[in-house]
Amino acid sequence: MILRTAAVRHGRKAFSPSSLRSLTTQTTTTTETPDAVSEGALPPTAPPEPANSIVSKVTRPPQRWSAKPRPDKTIKYMPADWTRYKEQQARTRSLGSRIELLHVPGHLLKNPPAEASLEMLMANQAHMGHSTSLWNPANSRYICGVREGIHIISLEKTAEELRRAARVVEEVAYYGGIILFVGTRPGQMPIVVRAAELAKGYHLFSKWTPGTITNRDQILGSLPLMVVDEMDREVDGFDKHLLDRRPVVPDLVVCLNPLENYPMLRECSQENIPTIGVIDTNADPGMVTYTIPANDDSLRTATVIAGVLGRAGQRGQQRRLKDAELGEVTWRNPREIQRFLEIQALLKAAEDEAAALKAEAEGGGSGSHKGDMPGVMNKEQLEAFQLLQDLERERREGGRKRRGDEDDI
Amino acid sequence: MGRGGRNVRAKRVFQAVAKSFAGPFPNKNLPPPAWFKALESIPPSEVLTRPVAIRHGSAPLKKGNFYKPSRLAYPEDQLRKEFYKDHPWELARPRIIMEMDGEDWRYLDWSKGLKQQRMALCGESVVQRQLWLMNHAGMSKQQAYDKARKEFYALRQEEDVGRRVAIEEARYVGAYFGKNQLQVGMEIEDQVYEQWKAWAQEEMVKSELKRSEAYTSFGEPDTQLEPEEEAVVS
Repeated sequence: MILRTAAVRHGRKAFSPSSLRSLTTQTTTTTETPDAVSEGALPPTAPPEPANSIVSKVTRPPQRWSAKPRPDKTIKYMPADWTRYKEQQARTRSLGSRIELLHVPGHLLKNPPAEASLEMLMANQAHMGHSTSLWNPANSRYICGVREGIHIISLEKTAEELRRAARVVEEVAYYGGIILFVGTRPGQMPIVVRAAELAKGYHLFSKWTPGTITNRDQILGSLPLMVVDEMDREVDGFDKHLLDRRPVVPDLVVCLNPLENYPMLRECSQENIPTIGVIDTNADPGMVTYTIPANDDSLRTATVIAGVLGRAGQRGQQRRLKDAELGEVTWRNPREIQRFLEIQALLKAAEDEAAALKAEAEGGGSGSHKGDMPGVMNKEQLEAFQLLQDLERERREGGRKRRGDEDDI
Repeated sequence: MGRGGRNVRAKRVFQAVAKSFAGPFPNKNLPPPAWFKALESIPPSEVLTRPVAIRHGSAPLKKGNFYKPSRLAYPEDQLRKEFYKDHPWELARPRIIMEMDGEDWRYLDWSKGLKQQRMALCGESVVQRQLWLMNHAGMSKQQAYDKARKEFYALRQEEDVGRRVAIEEARYVGAYFGKNQLQVGMEIEDQVYEQWKAWAQEEMVKSELKRSEAYTSFGEPDTQLEPEEEAVVS
């Protein structure tokens, strides 16, 4: 499928991609069927492609926010005492008490764990639910017991569901899906940004504009798109085609606070987009496809969970790129791109033939060949012309699709 | 949500899309979404059934309790309650409750006394030591409590003495510690009192003046009223 920029018009900053992403469609893990048409179908400006090259696309506005600390700038002006102070510091560093255990607040953010152990989850408060009077009984299978008036979430279940969700993220990344990390509570910004960086996904930390999926033609319509190949390099020559694209939608949404993002989750289920959500004991687990029962009020829990999922996405992306280097592409061209390439191939063939005919005629060619009449389209040219007309008609319909024609999901 | 039912739409995303691909007129050319294979091999877990709740302790299983999460109780709870009832000011001491890797329990060995690695002395040490003594040294609850809390008092005293000696030593070699926080607080309070005193004195003078002004008109005898005026006044 083609993806239109995931950046939202309203919140460009909030929805900016953190790295190049592939847009993709389905997976063909083997290279058995190179698109017959794609060879030679690309415009001459396109770089040479492998035989099974598949093209997808995504937009990528420049990165605006990063969770990585910036390197210190060199200080031009030094106070006079500075050198003396540093010397003294170096001289006396070995004196005094030694701090063996130091708590570094950003440690989990910088080094997300590949897997969360039960001890780690408990140390990060993942087991604490809400007051027993606020519970949603649908969560009873995730609840271990009651203590001090709150429900305690069973961490075995949390770890199990987290592992399952991590596998989903990894596989979706492997098959070239677009992953969106959403955390809109105060303080969740660096968490979702970091996860999106790792998984080469997208992040949202401000308000979800209602309708960004269901009304995407209006909300995201004017944002730029691009087509990338299987190594995530941008491919030129699709400008004309991109004018007709619908905006892209994510293939997987990870939500750290489903309670506040109910409209978004509803849009996702309406458009058949799978979702992963951190479900506290007061939330409805039916809101999301994959439930991670955990404390959604703790930023440390959110850091662990998003870190594990981000790492999983990172693994999936690495596997995908590695396979692509070996010539195995895990996704298929979106249908529109296929059709565009077919039309381009037909047009090119017709042009070549016309050029050959012309050359033959100029060279004192003897008569027409195969009964083609000059000035009249042959069968292939006619077919190309009809396809072009179809495309134009579709474009005039305003990009709207018929109900059975949902290829962007 | 809404209308009381369970919304299973999000849970059945895969089935919905798979159905559209396997319908009476399947579209073979349509590539399935990127998540399709992932969800095919990793289905979401079941949430819509309600299993019997995990049970703790020996509370009898009653008909009404099947699905209700039971209480989590530990033997330390009662000990902790009693200790802090006897030593309420222990709760006023700051304490670090954050764990870094969740492995802190590996460094604790309550057979060796109250001082433990990675853990400052606090009421919890007494509780854990008492429990260890009860379980492993064959002591009764009261005996274990007395032993643990006396060890605790000794260690607290040792901390105090150590702190005092450290201050003395530091003063001896020339350190000076300005005012402590209480002194600073008292000084600020004194300043405010002084300000108030000045203000109050000023106010007193003002009100005195006002009062004396009010009486000035009564000090002088008035001129005698004319008889007609007298009549009018009466």
